[in-house]
Amino acid sequence: MPQLNPEFFVSQLFWLAVFFTFLFVFLWRVSLPRIATVLEKRQNKIDENLSSAKELQEQAMEIEKKINDQINKAKLETDEKIKETINALQENVSAQLSSLDKDLEKKVSDAEKEILKSKDDQMKNINNEIVNITKLTVGKITDIELSDNELNKVIETHKGNFN
Amino acid sequence: MAAKDSPLKQFEIDPISNIELGGYNISFTNSSFAMLITVLVITLFLTLTVNTRSIIPSRMQLISELMYNFIAQLLSDTVGDNGKRYFPFVFSLFMFVLIGNMVGMIPYQFTFTSHIIVTFALAAVVFIGVTILGFINHGIKFFTFFYIPGVPFYMHPLLIPIEVISYLSRPISLSVRLFANMLAGHTLLKVFAGFVVSMPFFTGVFPLAFIVALTGLEILIAFLQAYVFAILTCLYINDAYHLH
Repeated sequence: MPQLNPEFFVSQLFWLAVFFTFLFVFLWRVSLPRIATVLEKRQNKIDENLSSAKELQEQAMEIEKKINDQINKAKLETDEKIKETINALQENVSAQLSSLDKDLEKKVSDAEKEILKSKDDQMKNINNEIVNITKLTVGKITDIELSDNELNKVIETHKGNFN
Repeated sequence: MAAKDSPLKQFEIDPISNIELGGYNISFTNSSFAMLITVLVITLFLTLTVNTRSIIPSRMQLISELMYNFIAQLLSDTVGDNGKRYFPFVFSLFMFVLIGNMVGMIPYQFTFTSHIIVTFALAAVVFIGVTILGFINHGIKFFTFFYIPGVPFYMHPLLIPIEVISYLSRPISLSVRLFANMLAGHTLLKVFAGFVVSMPFFTGVFPLAFIVALTGLEILIAFLQAYVFAILTCLYINDAYHLH
């Protein structure tokens, strides 16, 4: 087996030492720090982005909160307005109802007065008609001219009998 | 077995240029060449893909970052915060073994992780480093690592030697595991490749199909062994911090 031939042992060990030492020092001093720098840079970038994302998220949450507040506020205001409007309308309606009531009452009372007045008028007319009829009747039967005053007196005295 | 056609011939070391230093033969061989390729692939890939340092990575940069994170995760899972300072070492070890295995999967390319001396040297570095680390962290108390609490006292004469032996065999198990996997996989590939040629008529397609499937498995093993090497290193480092 060539592996057990000591002829080249020293040579192998020597070159192994040379190349491995070179490799170790080169990687240690040059290559690995480079890769480490890149990885660190990337990690920093990621952290930065993460923190800014977090910030943005917080801002978004704040804005959302503001929006919700505004919505709630608007709701409350609307409710208030609706209530106010309902109240105003109700007041209006009741005011109108009461004025209508008054109007109606007035109209009723007016009508009552008119009725009374026309009743009086009618009664007066009836008196006049009675006077006229009596005058005509008496004139036809007896040729006596009766004055209105006399007739009125008589009628007044006998009025109780008509009713 | 004719040496020319032996499945083990692929593990033979051929010097590319003969160098001698202080009486030692330190020839630049095909094994050294594979290491050179491995180191070049790793350094160039990890450097060039991250060159732009873009926050949104390209696909290639993403691969580098995935490897980085893979080992960083492994270390933090097994060792915790203490592990960070060993990251460059564990990462280098993982990449060296991983890409070394992968380079070995290229046909006609030498696999240096199939040589016990290489894997043993890596394991020995881990073992010695971890032992020194244990003594730095715990001083002489590090020896209590071999003492298992909560065991009847008469068991200790038996258990302590077992613990010591298992501790000392760590570099062997660590290195032999990688070496044997690579050796077996590549030998098997070579054996079946021999079948493709030697079988009559068109029956050679069967071992060929087997080789295709086996290559997939070998790539998986190449990754898995690098992973095992790295995770065991992490566990040993963890032991140096937390005695039982």
